[in-house]
Amino acid sequence: MTRPVLINPVLIRRALIAAALVALAVFPLVSNDLYYQTMLILTFLLAIGATGWNIMGGYAGYISLGNSAFVGLGAYTTGILAARDNISPFLGCLVGGLVCALAAAVLSLVTRRTRGMYFIIVTFAALQLLGIVATIWSGLTGGSQGLALPIPTWSLTYQNWPFYYPLLALLVLAVAVSAWVRRSKLGLGLFAIQDDEGKAAGLGLATNAYKLIAFVLGGTFLGVAGGIYAYYVTFLNVSAVFDIVTSMLIVLSALLGGRGTLWGPVLGAFIIEPLANLTSTNLGGANAGAIRLLLFGGLLGLVVLFLPKGLLPTLSAWKTHRQTQDQKDPAPERLRPAQSAPMTPGGGHQDGGLAQYSHPLPAGHPDGTPGERPHHQNDDRPERNPAPADPDPAALALALVGSVLAVRGLTRSFGGLRAVDQVDLDLAPASVTGLLGPNGSGKTTLFNLIDGTVRPSSGRLTLAGRRIDHKSRQARAHTGLARTYQLPRLFPSLTVLENVVLAERRLSLSRLFLPRVTAAERARAMTVLADLGLAQYANTSPATLSYGQRKLIELAQMLWLDPALVLLDEPAAGISPALSQRLAGIIGRLRAEGVGVLLVEHDVAFLASLSDRVYVMANGKIIAAGTVAEVSANPAVVDAYLGDQVALAAGNALAAGTPLAVGNTGLTVGNTGLAVGPTGESAS
Amino acid sequence: MTELLQALIFGVLTGGVYALMATGLTLTFGVMKIVNMAQGALLILSAYLCWTLWSHLGIDPLLGSLIVTVPLAALGILIYRYVVERVQRHDHGLTIVVTFAVALVAEALIALTWGPNPTATTPAYFNQAFKLGSLTIPRAQLYAFLLAVAVTALLQLGLKRTWLGHAITAAAENPEGARLIGIQPKRIGTWIFAIATATTAFGGAALSFLYQFTPDSQDTWIGLTLSVVILGGLGSVPGAFAVGVLLGLAESVTTTYISVRWSEAVPTILILLVLLIRPQGLFTLAARQDAAT
Repeated sequence: MTRPVLINPVLIRRALIAAALVALAVFPLVSNDLYYQTMLILTFLLAIGATGWNIMGGYAGYISLGNSAFVGLGAYTTGILAARDNISPFLGCLVGGLVCALAAAVLSLVTRRTRGMYFIIVTFAALQLLGIVATIWSGLTGGSQGLALPIPTWSLTYQNWPFYYPLLALLVLAVAVSAWVRRSKLGLGLFAIQDDEGKAAGLGLATNAYKLIAFVLGGTFLGVAGGIYAYYVTFLNVSAVFDIVTSMLIVLSALLGGRGTLWGPVLGAFIIEPLANLTSTNLGGANAGAIRLLLFGGLLGLVVLFLPKGLLPTLSAWKTHRQTQDQKDPAPERLRPAQSAPMTPGGGHQDGGLAQYSHPLPAGHPDGTPGERPHHQNDDRPERNPAPADPDPAALALALVGSVLAVRGLTRSFGGLRAVDQVDLDLAPASVTGLLGPNGSGKTTLFNLIDGTVRPSSGRLTLAGRRIDHKSRQARAHTGLARTYQLPRLFPSLTVLENVVLAERRLSLSRLFLPRVTAAERARAMTVLADLGLAQYANTSPATLSYGQRKLIELAQMLWLDPALVLLDEPAAGISPALSQRLAGIIGRLRAEGVGVLLVEHDVAFLASLSDRVYVMANGKIIAAGTVAEVSANPAVVDAYLGDQVALAAGNALAAGTPLAVGNTGLTVGNTGLAVGPTGESAS
Repeated sequence: MTELLQALIFGVLTGGVYALMATGLTLTFGVMKIVNMAQGALLILSAYLCWTLWSHLGIDPLLGSLIVTVPLAALGILIYRYVVERVQRHDHGLTIVVTFAVALVAEALIALTWGPNPTATTPAYFNQAFKLGSLTIPRAQLYAFLLAVAVTALLQLGLKRTWLGHAITAAAENPEGARLIGIQPKRIGTWIFAIATATTAFGGAALSFLYQFTPDSQDTWIGLTLSVVILGGLGSVPGAFAVGVLLGLAESVTTTYISVRWSEAVPTILILLVLLIRPQGLFTLAARQDAAT
């Protein structure tokens, strides 16, 4: 905080919340107006539902239209236990919550392989099915006759307190849990899933577990609330309890208040339920139902169309907009400090940076499995620039310590096209292997096959001695695989710091309960960021950073996994020469530390200066392998890589007896094959 | 044996009708990956419009459906231009929520216009049947099935033979590429919605003389049409037809051998099973196995 602020807005907010809570707690004691008590009871129910919905729908981005199924399940469980076995509804509702937790766990299975839309449909279908089953299974539920619960036996002087206070307590608990989720690694992962689920999986996050927990939490709260509601209404009928309109009101509340915020769903419920109450008391006649439907359906449509972020985020965006206008800052903030720091190539402070990347686990974490991935002596590291007659040093290293990655017969067809065709590839630890090939030759598909984004049609993949071709992306990340993308994929909902520490080295449930960024992680990540010259952006969204800066952050993010093998997809494309020099330094350090690097790069100068060995791909096949010199002497490579362009140009150039330069590939092809020119920097 | 044959006949006829009802959803889902939750409401609206033409002007619903295509296509364009397209631009996931809102508003407006009571058109043929030995072929069901076959065939022909059809297919397979060669997604989207809602008129006509309907029965029909599309997997029109028939058969067999009440649950049970176990749908599964071997 740079200057003293008279009234801290956080304090104001807390005071307001505390005052509202006290008012709600005292209200039934000072007023015996049952109309408002009833309205508040229903409001609590809706607020619990919306808060629970928000954990899955707002944090993880999985929208559900079937959450009233949990109200129904909780209500019927409680009702059946009370009516048949005479179990107190206040105990029964807990069982209801348990039943809902189970149902949510089963339904969340659908999110394992499908995204968004299918989840909505499944929740919708589950709601319909439960309604049908409850009608048919009349022996248990009373069917269309309905189910009557025992009438409450307490004295009338207590009014509706036994419903009011448990629901209020449950609401407070639900908000507290939601707040805790936001602050924990669980919430960090959920927001990451919403931003880019595939990338999150690639960083080792057990995304399925995150989604399961999120959906179960929301369902459980709603189930317990449904149980209390059942006792409150004392009579259950299928169409009222499994009502899609309840679901709609839950979604409407969360969207109206602000999806993904802590208080938005509560605020939304406190607007929607009184409104619903108002219309149901003031509207009468045959058309009342239709008019309410029109009103709330219309409101839902209007909110999605014109207030898609919801009230709270829109308000705060408006407030910050006004503040920044007041300050009249002449220079856009991010332009100022960015230039100087990260651009110094080489330089003293770069040394030691990698040591920090490579062992990112907090000291308190047992680094349990030392034999898990190969550790290599650095003296195995091949010398650069060997004489052509000598045995390939990378192959030598491979023979000595085995390969970190072995690919055998890897094939993937898309329809009739074999994007990757019978690829064999070996990657030694402590080596840099280049992968060359024209666009569309299958390099990125090969990366996607190795990291598990795409499943192979056939073939084998072995990473650090383990078969991985049927492993999930998470499992591959845990085995030691990490990658970057052609266009950096970062999580805009998280801060730069959070982006860096997100990666998970192993499957650990207890880790989800830690705070988003532990103190040890923060300290280590800050040194990493400082080393990259990005420390001042630690708490901003990566969306505000430049392309080159985002590439650096993705690199740091990947290295947090402490990988044995890294896949770099065009890391030098579109960044400044200074930055690419810095990148080369990082890659060199990685190799020195025993990491295997597989590098796709069109900038041949960059590739050649780093690679111990090069593979060339064309039409999905590996057509050549060896040192850069060997490969470039291979006529098949020149032909495939440069194709007709060379043949055409060669006719003219060879006649003149001059080496020819081929456009933007940065290749200079002379009589001796392929020499690397300094003009390789590609503009973009 | 006769019982089984009869169940099969019913199943095939009903399934064709299901496919017809889902055609609109198949198109928007298959090409634009948009689940139009208003499909059920649009079906019911078509049924009410056909009923109005039939009861006031004596126009047969099969003929009336041709007239109903016009307002339905206009409605589809409005829904796309003013609702779906706007939402799709900033959050594709919310399109399903907003079309659900459209469904609720439509249900409310239908209820306000036509009242909440069960309705059905009863043209002369609605309870007549052809006899084939000991087998019964209900005329209404048969006509609806033939309508379904005709509409499906026409759509297929249109997709395969016209420029618009090629543009739609291209946009489905590669939106970016389609954009590059000058196919505007918004224009294609408008066409798709217009065609999708127009074909819904035929589904609504069939519904009007095969089933009783109320404004809130849109809920049931959205569930059913969704299941056709999801089981079809790809959103291809012939795929939806095959799945419709499969679904009709499953329901018919359930009705015959278990109970009518459980047949109502068949579509939702199938949706859940397929999405939990084989999310890619039944027909893409078959294609995959072919490709792998």
